[in-house]
Amino acid sequence: MFSGMMKILKMSCEDVYPLISESQDHTLPFSSRMRLKIHITICGLCQIYKKQLAVICRVAKVIGKEDAKILAESNMKPEAKEKIQQWIEKKR
Amino acid sequence: MSNELLEPQKWVERYADMMYRYSLVRVRDPEAAEELVQSAFFAALKSQNSFAGKSTEKTWLFGILKHKIMDFFRSSKNTISIDPTSDKKSGLIKFDSSGHMIQKPGDWKLDPEKTTENNELAQVLAQCLKGLPEKYHRIFVLKEIDGISSEEICNEFDIKPTNLWVILHRARNQLKQCLELKWFQTK
Repeated sequence: MFSGMMKILKMSCEDVYPLISESQDHTLPFSSRMRLKIHITICGLCQIYKKQLAVICRVAKVIGKEDAKILAESNMKPEAKEKIQQWIEKKR
Repeated sequence: MSNELLEPQKWVERYADMMYRYSLVRVRDPEAAEELVQSAFFAALKSQNSFAGKSTEKTWLFGILKHKIMDFFRSSKNTISIDPTSDKKSGLIKFDSSGHMIQKPGDWKLDPEKTTENNELAQVLAQCLKGLPEKYHRIFVLKEIDGISSEEICNEFDIKPTNLWVILHRARNQLKQCLELKWFQTK
């Protein structure tokens, strides 16, 4: 029990960094989740890093919204469509 | 060769733009997107007999397009190979021998909740994205900007989830460093 607790507390920032990023992509296994939670509670630097990644994630979504607007208006060039249409008519 | 359940003469009119946009999001290159749609239609025409009507015509065509996109990413020019085990010591953030950061991360003094109003910051992030290596850029954009699921990205790039997490972790670190340099240090 005691050695288990020590293992959790001894986790360094280097071990925790990838987990902070990973936690944005999938649910971490229970043990990693706990280790991450405990480390972040006591480590100010990792708290800052976590916040920074959250900022990047949010800002990426802003770009995503803008991109989606542009994309919604993107169509294939009429000449490219025409070329495919002709080929289909011929081969069908 | 023809299949009564399909209407190839109407494919372009019905699906070309939809399939083009789907491809464009993924490959980010209008010419490549056009070629992918074209080759998907050609492949569909050749394999009309494989359509048994179990799905809709649209689903079937998109299935073929997805395979074409996978081939595109798997072709040598676009291959993504990542060794997750090599990552630990190769990050941009430097740690001392006991695993503590050598340089402290800058306090951005930003509330993540409020960053959505910050268009200037979005522009800087867009610039930083251009500096990412091609493979990181593609995957970060699909995941974080276009909101494509991890599962779909792994399928399309033929990579394992662990590889995906490593790529995203590296991409985020690079973006973090870039934002710190280009934005936060100048504020």
